Amino acid sequence: MADISDIEKSGTSLVKITVKTPKEKQEVEIDPDATIKELKEQVAKKFSASQEQLCLIFAGKILKDADTLKQHGIKDGLTVHLVIKSANKAHDNSAASSTSTSPQTTQQPPNINATPFGLGALGGLPGMGGLGMGSANFMEMQQRMQREIMTNPELLRQTMENPFVQQMMSNPDIMRQLMMSNPQMRELMERNPEITHMLNNPELMRQTLELARNPAMLQELMRSQDRAMSNLESLPGGFNALQRMYRDIQEPMLNAAQEGFSSNPFSSLVGSGGSGSNQAQQGQENTNPLPNPWAPPGSPAGTSQSSSTTGTAATSPDVTGGQFGMFNSPGMQSLLQQMAQNPQLMQNMMQAPYTQSMIQAMSANPELANQIMSANPLFGANPELRQHMMQALPQMLQQMQNPASQSVMTNPRALTAITQIQQGMQQLYSEAPDLFQGYNPMGMPLVGLGTPASSSTSTTAATTPATTSTNTTTNTTTSTTTTTTSPTSTTTTTPAQGQAGAPGIDPFSNMMAQMVRMMAQGNINQPPEQLYAAQLEQLASMGFIDRDANIRALQATLGDVNAAIDRLIQNR
Amino acid sequence: MAIEQSFLLLKKQLAELNKNPVEGFSAGLLDDEDMYKWEVLIYGPPDTLFEGGFFKAHLIFPKEYPLKPPKMIFQTEIFHPNIAKDGSVCISILHEPGDDKYGYEKASERWLPVHTVETILVSVISMLADPNDESPANVDAAKIWRENPDEFKKRVAKCVRKSQDAFE
Repeated sequence: MADISDIEKSGTSLVKITVKTPKEKQEVEIDPDATIKELKEQVAKKFSASQEQLCLIFAGKILKDADTLKQHGIKDGLTVHLVIKSANKAHDNSAASSTSTSPQTTQQPPNINATPFGLGALGGLPGMGGLGMGSANFMEMQQRMQREIMTNPELLRQTMENPFVQQMMSNPDIMRQLMMSNPQMRELMERNPEITHMLNNPELMRQTLELARNPAMLQELMRSQDRAMSNLESLPGGFNALQRMYRDIQEPMLNAAQEGFSSNPFSSLVGSGGSGSNQAQQGQENTNPLPNPWAPPGSPAGTSQSSSTTGTAATSPDVTGGQFGMFNSPGMQSLLQQMAQNPQLMQNMMQAPYTQSMIQAMSANPELANQIMSANPLFGANPELRQHMMQALPQMLQQMQNPASQSVMTNPRALTAITQIQQGMQQLYSEAPDLFQGYNPMGMPLVGLGTPASSSTSTTAATTPATTSTNTTTNTTTSTTTTTTSPTSTTTTTPAQGQAGAPGIDPFSNMMAQMVRMMAQGNINQPPEQLYAAQLEQLASMGFIDRDANIRALQATLGDVNAAIDRLIQNR
Repeated sequence: MAIEQSFLLLKKQLAELNKNPVEGFSAGLLDDEDMYKWEVLIYGPPDTLFEGGFFKAHLIFPKEYPLKPPKMIFQTEIFHPNIAKDGSVCISILHEPGDDKYGYEKASERWLPVHTVETILVSVISMLADPNDESPANVDAAKIWRENPDEFKKRVAKCVRKSQDAFE
């Protein structure tokens, strides 16, 4: 119990608010749940003025003492205007202000956060929410994790000690981007600023991480959470609080997750039964673990769990088959792209032991790779292409094991060079598409086109190894999206790099050439300027003049103008 | 499309203003659901008669924004030659583009789609400091301002005090 309150206290860390007068500017750190009166106390100290003289203004409104920061949506990094009234005027008004402040203090809305269990943060443990942050559905993650951790704490620790996961977790930008790519989630966050706070709080995430590395503590925490919930329910009014919480937070979140299934990377993984049973448990304590979202639809929960991190690439091919939807969803594609833009992450990934063991497993087991490929709709539709892919794969994998090519992958400069080549090729391709028909046998440069910056093509080229890796991680980790996607991104570039390490492997280059030709027939390889012409025009007419930035934003948001604008504004 | 665009443009401006507030005023939505109705609070600019006052105003944007100007209406009583007694602000940049039927203003002084909430309010704030009595919206105020500065001062001081009381 002591553990919980400690975590709660440090978990809701302070937000920084800029207070600005016409003359000066000061920063104030304050609890996000504080009232305006508490803020004024701090401001009064900073500006050495009496509280009565202060007038705080935010978003066109004068802030009243009894209001809370949350009510006005005052978040970290925002600016509040301050007007300091001259002392004699304050004296005139002091009578009026004192009468109005006294009743206000009693009118504070019931604050869920004030409960000893700190349930407000996410309808559960804020820490656990933090772990599942990469997913669109916290609640499910939380419960799934609960079960899994209880049975296998070792598992979680392994995940958490993975440098990639650590880096990911400590980078709030990435986490935020992951979250923001789901429009419903974004809406939810706008309505519930506290969720945003969590995302903006690297400290909290780090703590979560620390916590997760200590299985005993975590287990204890989990148990006490359930107890806390039932205690709360038996309190008078406690059930109502829970219900309100559910209504305000969990339900919209669940809806968001369900509505978003079409664009949710996990949509194909979670059978409709899983979410349905979720709803059936509304308003009551949920003691049952949720069905394993990674299991193939229809199979009982937990069957596909395997206990070790390594060598799992060879397990249950059905599971692999069930996961292809992931790579075709826009959400996943944008993820892939984000990952690909960050060589640092990839580098870390490559050094992670399980990635290497995954690659080994792949090369040792071509059978598996074949299976994956035949299940992929892209290759399925093109038997010829698949044939080529299959022939080339063993060689490619061998290349990947080659220390030279691995060192390329861990060398940022080499990565940059490869990226440049890719970009050059892409440009060349958009300038003179016909050229490639003639140059097909050349093979090698075309590889660049297999993994260009635009996400659609990179997924097609890389689906094969990527899927296997997902299989590995999903079976082993406690399913933060971060870990799931990370190997994907790494392997996205692997074919290209394997190739770069030793050019001129004939079957492989032929295969790539083939692929390029296929792409030329469709419009997969259409340059982003053409693909997003309408959106670009719209952005330009709104005054976003940096065309390159616009293109990048549109690529990252897969053409969603609204999201692109958010992105552009945030990056400014 | 036009509707969509005005919405996005306003949303962008609101986000910008929340992030990097501009001196002299604070802006937010009147109703969180309606991007076209803004509430702004202008602090009387320092070293003017209006210093110390808090003037609340609404900005009502047409769906055609930015092709057409918003309307700005002060909710707080304010005594100023260019603000009508009902609170509506009369400055050239808020007048619809095209020929001025009275021949006062050049097209360049009137509404242009480049204007944002920020530029509008900066203009209004500078108008507070420096009234323009050529085309007064409040003829009484203009007359007093021109003929009896002391009386004008008194009247403004009164509404500044009133504006403060309203928020206490």
